[in-house]
Amino acid sequence: MASDAISSTAAAAVPAAAKPRPRRLLLVLPLAALAALAAWPWLAGPFVLHLAILVCLNVLIVNGLAIIDRAGQLSFGHSAPVAIGAYAAVLGAQAWGLGPLASALLALGLVALVSLALGWVILRLRGVYFVLVTFAFAELVRLALLDAAAFTGGASGIAGIPPLAMGGFAFDSRERFYALALAVALLSVAGLALLLRRPLGRAMLAVAANPALAESVGLSVLRLQLVAYVIGSTLAALGGVLTVRYIGFVSPESFATTASVAFITMLVIGGRGSVYGPLAGALVLTPLPELFRGAVQTQHVFYGAALILILRFLPGGIASLAQRRGASR
Amino acid sequence: MDWNLVLGQATVNGLIIGLLYLLMAVGFTLVFGVMRMVNFAHGEFYMLGAFAAYVGSAHLGLPFLAAVALAAAAALLLGSLVEWLVLKPFRKDELNGMIATIGLAMIVQNLALMAFGPDPVSMPAVAEGASTLLGITVPNSRLYVVVFAAAVLLLLYLFLRHSRAGRALRAVVEDAETAALQGIRARLYYPLGFGIGVALAAVAGALMAPLFSVSPFIGATPLLKAFIVVILGGLGSIVGAAVAALSLGLLESYSSLVLSTSTADMLIFVLVIVGLLAFPRGLIGRGEA
Repeated sequence: MASDAISSTAAAAVPAAAKPRPRRLLLVLPLAALAALAAWPWLAGPFVLHLAILVCLNVLIVNGLAIIDRAGQLSFGHSAPVAIGAYAAVLGAQAWGLGPLASALLALGLVALVSLALGWVILRLRGVYFVLVTFAFAELVRLALLDAAAFTGGASGIAGIPPLAMGGFAFDSRERFYALALAVALLSVAGLALLLRRPLGRAMLAVAANPALAESVGLSVLRLQLVAYVIGSTLAALGGVLTVRYIGFVSPESFATTASVAFITMLVIGGRGSVYGPLAGALVLTPLPELFRGAVQTQHVFYGAALILILRFLPGGIASLAQRRGASR
Repeated sequence: MDWNLVLGQATVNGLIIGLLYLLMAVGFTLVFGVMRMVNFAHGEFYMLGAFAAYVGSAHLGLPFLAAVALAAAAALLLGSLVEWLVLKPFRKDELNGMIATIGLAMIVQNLALMAFGPDPVSMPAVAEGASTLLGITVPNSRLYVVVFAAAVLLLLYLFLRHSRAGRALRAVVEDAETAALQGIRARLYYPLGFGIGVALAAVAGALMAPLFSVSPFIGATPLLKAFIVVILGGLGSIVGAAVAALSLGLLESYSSLVLSTSTADMLIFVLVIVGLLAFPRGLIGRGEA
């Protein structure tokens, strides 16, 4: 009997010892591929570089949406913090002569405060009610920006926004800006992954899975969702600040409902249950408009159909494809 | 300035807007009641209804009433079909169902853009002149809208209250399982409920078509108003929608006397938030929050 037990543990130990090697390979290969993919735009010319920058900015913004979603609330007004961040950065620089960095910090602080106050009120709502109110808020922000033409230039927006500069170093070329955007995007992915492993992130997931149960074991649903909402909105604001500094132009039209819809589409198609969902979604959907150039309508029809089909047949999104593969191996 | 006259005028205008919001919101809340689905494509059916009325009267030469009926029938058919073909897997699945209707809205709006182009079109007014009653003047073209909207709402009320299908539909809203146990074929009432809901939006769009210009983008504002109405009235509650829609119409109309539109919109948003805090499930709501 004893020898049986020993041999069976030995038999079990063999595959266990053999396992790490393919697993490490599995980890290294995609990482290498990802690194190659991330480096490729620098060599591929200005057009690819431009797309890559937009992908990075979208990853950042959609990661913000993902954090809020992970805590159990879907925001349908994610364009609002992007818009407030973008305009605050530009107007702060224009009105008080703040430098790009100071105005960016001002914008992030403002959005954090606004989302703290707003979230404290509206996070008491659950499910579709929260969705509807965030939608209404985003529309309101857009209307206010259109209306306050004296400051915001109304529908024609503000042009000629200078690029971001830090201590004499200006991110004024695509090559430079891509380095910044890539770093920030990767940091946000790593941050999300780290957060979800920490007790704080775990508590957020618990609150999303079962609010009543979470509350009964002493987790404050409102407080945890508020933390997620403030972090997520601030990430979106950072995305907004970087976007206007890159494009050099801002107008309320960029923050219409279609923008919020695009962020949700990226999150859902990428995968709501995976840390890499926003990355996958932004990577796939950002360059798509270029495939449909001159046929925006076709592109949106495709988006809509893809959204429904993914929900129906691949509820975990694109990221779940990779994970399913990894699990089966 | 005669304030009585101004206030009376604003009241009438508010009720007109309120009736239209009610048409939108009743359909929206009906769809939610039946399927637990927040229909983000609701505004697109408003837009389709407006185009149907435009095509019906400007191209097919139909009288306005027939054009509105055409819009309603087309939306009923299309809505039922879409529910059955596309949305069936998402019944009772609040979050995914909602995202699916976002996809649906994108598809419908952009197909309309391809078919009709982005430029607004306008159709001739339904009636000329104006009527005056007790010193309050209302353009006849608007009066027309009110009479139609009221008639449609009355028809809906009679249908839901007294017809066999309407009562079965309400039973499904109340409790689909129990309804099925009573021999109601709930499967039939999902497409029907969605179809009726979006047909109401189409009627609202068709009625508004002669008053405003028609373009593929006109669905967004009525959708937002329907949201606000059902948030205030409580998702799934028709009585709540009625109270909230008429209040919202009046509120907008009164506030437009002293405030700019966007200031009024902001004020209303704040009111919605305050209202939600006080009544988390809406004024007369019964939907789960």
